[in-house]
Amino acid sequence: MGFLSPWFLGGLAALGLPVYIHLLKQHKSIPLPFSSLMFFERRTQSSIKHRRLKYLLLFAMRIAMVLLLALLFANPFLTRTVDPKAEGKKLRVFAIDNSFSMRTGDRFATAKQQALDALSGFRGGDLGQVVSFSTQVNMLTQQTEDPAELRSAIQSVNQGDGRSGYAELSQMLRSTAQSSRTPVEVHIFSDMQKTSLPSPFSELTLGGNTRVVLHPLASVDESNWYVESVKAPRSVYQAKKVRVLATIAGAGTPAFETDVSVVLNNKVIETKKIKLAANGRATAEFYIPEAPYGLNRGEVRIAAHDKLAQDDRILFALERKEPGRVLFVYEARNPRGILYYRAALDSPADSALAVDAVPSDQTANVSPIKYAFVVLSDVAYLPAEFEENLKKYVKAGGSVLIALGSASATKPRVPVFDEAIAQSRMSSRSADRFQGATSVDLSHPALSRTNSFDGVKFYQTIQVVPGNSRVLAKLTDQTPLILEKKIGEGRALVFASTFDNIANDFPLHTSFVPFIEQSAYYLSGVEKSAADIAVDSYLELRSSKDQGTSVEVLDPGGQRALSLTESTSAQNFRLPREGFFEVRRANGRHELIAVHADRRESDLTVIPKETLALWQNMGMGGEQQSGPGGQGITRTAPWSLWWYFALALLIVSLLESLFASRYLIAENQPMVRKEAA
Amino acid sequence: MLQRFLNPSVLASISGLELVAKTVVDGFVSGLHRSPDFGFSQEFAEYRAYSEGDDLRHVDWNVYARTERAYLKRYRGETNSQLTMLLDVSASMAFGSHPVNKLDYARYLVASIFYLSKQQRDAAGLIVFDDDVKNYVPPSTRQGQFARLLHAIEKAEPGSRTNLEKPLLHCQQFLHRRGIIALISDFYESPEAIVKAVDPLRSHGNELILFHVLDPQEIRPAMNEPMLVLDMETNDAMEVTPDYVRTEYREKIDAHIEGLRTEARRNGIDYFLIDTSKPLDEALREFLTIRRRRR
Repeated sequence: MGFLSPWFLGGLAALGLPVYIHLLKQHKSIPLPFSSLMFFERRTQSSIKHRRLKYLLLFAMRIAMVLLLALLFANPFLTRTVDPKAEGKKLRVFAIDNSFSMRTGDRFATAKQQALDALSGFRGGDLGQVVSFSTQVNMLTQQTEDPAELRSAIQSVNQGDGRSGYAELSQMLRSTAQSSRTPVEVHIFSDMQKTSLPSPFSELTLGGNTRVVLHPLASVDESNWYVESVKAPRSVYQAKKVRVLATIAGAGTPAFETDVSVVLNNKVIETKKIKLAANGRATAEFYIPEAPYGLNRGEVRIAAHDKLAQDDRILFALERKEPGRVLFVYEARNPRGILYYRAALDSPADSALAVDAVPSDQTANVSPIKYAFVVLSDVAYLPAEFEENLKKYVKAGGSVLIALGSASATKPRVPVFDEAIAQSRMSSRSADRFQGATSVDLSHPALSRTNSFDGVKFYQTIQVVPGNSRVLAKLTDQTPLILEKKIGEGRALVFASTFDNIANDFPLHTSFVPFIEQSAYYLSGVEKSAADIAVDSYLELRSSKDQGTSVEVLDPGGQRALSLTESTSAQNFRLPREGFFEVRRANGRHELIAVHADRRESDLTVIPKETLALWQNMGMGGEQQSGPGGQGITRTAPWSLWWYFALALLIVSLLESLFASRYLIAENQPMVRKEAA
Repeated sequence: MLQRFLNPSVLASISGLELVAKTVVDGFVSGLHRSPDFGFSQEFAEYRAYSEGDDLRHVDWNVYARTERAYLKRYRGETNSQLTMLLDVSASMAFGSHPVNKLDYARYLVASIFYLSKQQRDAAGLIVFDDDVKNYVPPSTRQGQFARLLHAIEKAEPGSRTNLEKPLLHCQQFLHRRGIIALISDFYESPEAIVKAVDPLRSHGNELILFHVLDPQEIRPAMNEPMLVLDMETNDAMEVTPDYVRTEYREKIDAHIEGLRTEARRNGIDYFLIDTSKPLDEALREFLTIRRRRR
């Protein structure tokens, strides 16, 4: 006999309570009113003697109550031998692994067949439940006594591309065991992949009434080569070669030489031979000559001839499109700013943005709507029509970057930004009178790589009253250097100096290009995302301003992946399997998402037997077997006695109440009434 | 059948003392009570020679005309006695082991006797006391006297401690005329002290009757376990045992009753022990029977 929660035996200290009440505490009875004490004499000694004798039974019952309560919480059990055939009703859970690694050979088909075989031992009166598990656990049935329903559910389990996780399965089994009144027997049909084990092994803990029966579908480590990753740009804007870098790896493999091919739109672009060391990893670099305009489906594949063919390729999406246009408005008499700004924006190998420079006096007929964003570079004059259009453009969601210099200081307020200009400050270059930048908000997307404008000297700055705007950077005299303001749906950035190397030496510093590039991407909304995403990742479907608009997702089979309700309301979409998903955004933009399985699934090393045995023993004991059913094996199991203790406690409590109430009546009732009764 | 209705518990359910008294008294013979003194009703008793100081209004002038001697005409009166009831309302009188406590029972008894005296046109009065006189209704035969008496009885509430000496001393000031004085109490005093306290009431030739009202639990208490007993008058508490109650207490209360009875008899005082568990008319009949036998 043992105790499942022995620390509750500490509750036996409460035995002192009845002892205190019955032996130490002074007895206080309710006085009985009487006409006169004229004929009474005090008799104390005999009364105490009498009382002690009478309350012994109540005392014993109270002691028994405390004792039983402590034992009940300590959960005593007896270890007994259990014949599974003689066991009572139980819940059998059939858990089938449908992760990506189960595509190896015929593992998945074998797993389903073994589950069906195990179901043949299903007895009338037992409950059963079928679940499939990979990244998530899917309950395919409720707990049911109908074997036909269970069989149908097993047959309906589909192969998935997710990553198996035993921790999620164990968590679900713990919940099931807690809510189930009967013992739980779990049959797990899985390839027992080592990479699926959780890092803290304790997450595999199962409930005390859960028995695990493992059905391993692989007993030895399989060699497997696979394409581990691919690096390719998501979008290209220039008519030049696209670099694709693929990593090939092997798990449990000998040295190997294989062909690696890059395929674009089902056309093999290039093939290379690479050599892999045993359990090694190698990279292959490809240059795709010129990608066609639009969405392109790419793939890197190897000829490996192993049992898991699905990971011998990896997909990537490539979109060729025109770069976005940036409207650069400048003073005709000072064209230096455009020189530096354009050079900085064009410096990346494949810039997503191109600059259209227009003098300010020629902008009357220019519409800003078609531009990704607008730059006002120290302009003194803007045609009223253009300024009005620019304000509407920003309020509707557009962005503007405003650089202020001596020309713009002639105006009382910053155009579009609409905050007051306090003064223009000039410092002499010769006397080394200049300002530096300080208090730079490096968490801002436009400033994260500016290195706090280190070493930049500002000779002429325009002091702007911040008003309702947010100050992102300050000069050493604490006047604002960079300000941001949200206007309607759009935003405006103000740089309180110029891009012309006159008012400052910013264009000569290394932080200039990152600032121009980052601020351009930030203001234009161009995102740099990966060309491939793992299965079960979540795709953000809409931003806050896209609420209520429709988003369309087509799965690799060309079917709609979202219901009508989801297409107008879902914030995210889980990418459930490998392949190309097409997304049509609320703003009408088309995207192609390449999804591949988590490459940890490609490591087919199995869990050591010792670890499997340890896992089984974390439940109430079980066995690893290769045959179906799991019947006929004798085992030991703890037999909890808490029910009997609870019953005994109930009976003793009732008796105690009965006796205690009698004593209470005896104490409270006047003696004269008793006689009358 | 009548006994059933006169059970104290039944009487307690009858609202109004007058109705209670009427119920008790109308059931049995009226007029059994005779005045111990000669009254002035129409039944002729004898002639007595006039002596100095006699009231001339009672002289029979016809006899004087015939014999030239003055004789007083004397009659046997049936109702013209003066009855004064002294009701103890000390806290101990509130004790009761059944719905009718001692004070309630005493109220019924007093009301019944008043009703009886009203029927016989006796003058009746009431003194309510505990350790002092709480209420006094002078004896009278006037219209409404019965209602005044019942009201005084009704108003009597349990008071504080019993002290016979002080209130009875005051009572002497109220009692100028000879008559019957009935004292109703539970008499928690020594017999000698009680008799000593009531003795002055007999000074004017009054006839004194003691009604000793006790609850059956006071006479034979039942106790199954040790208990803390609280004195209703002094609030003193005392732990007593069943053994003591079964033996020594009974002996003491019996000795007390017997002592009081003996002392009363020795001093020419009528004594009646009244058990509140017994029917009221039975107690009343016993009282009247004894009274008639004495006459």
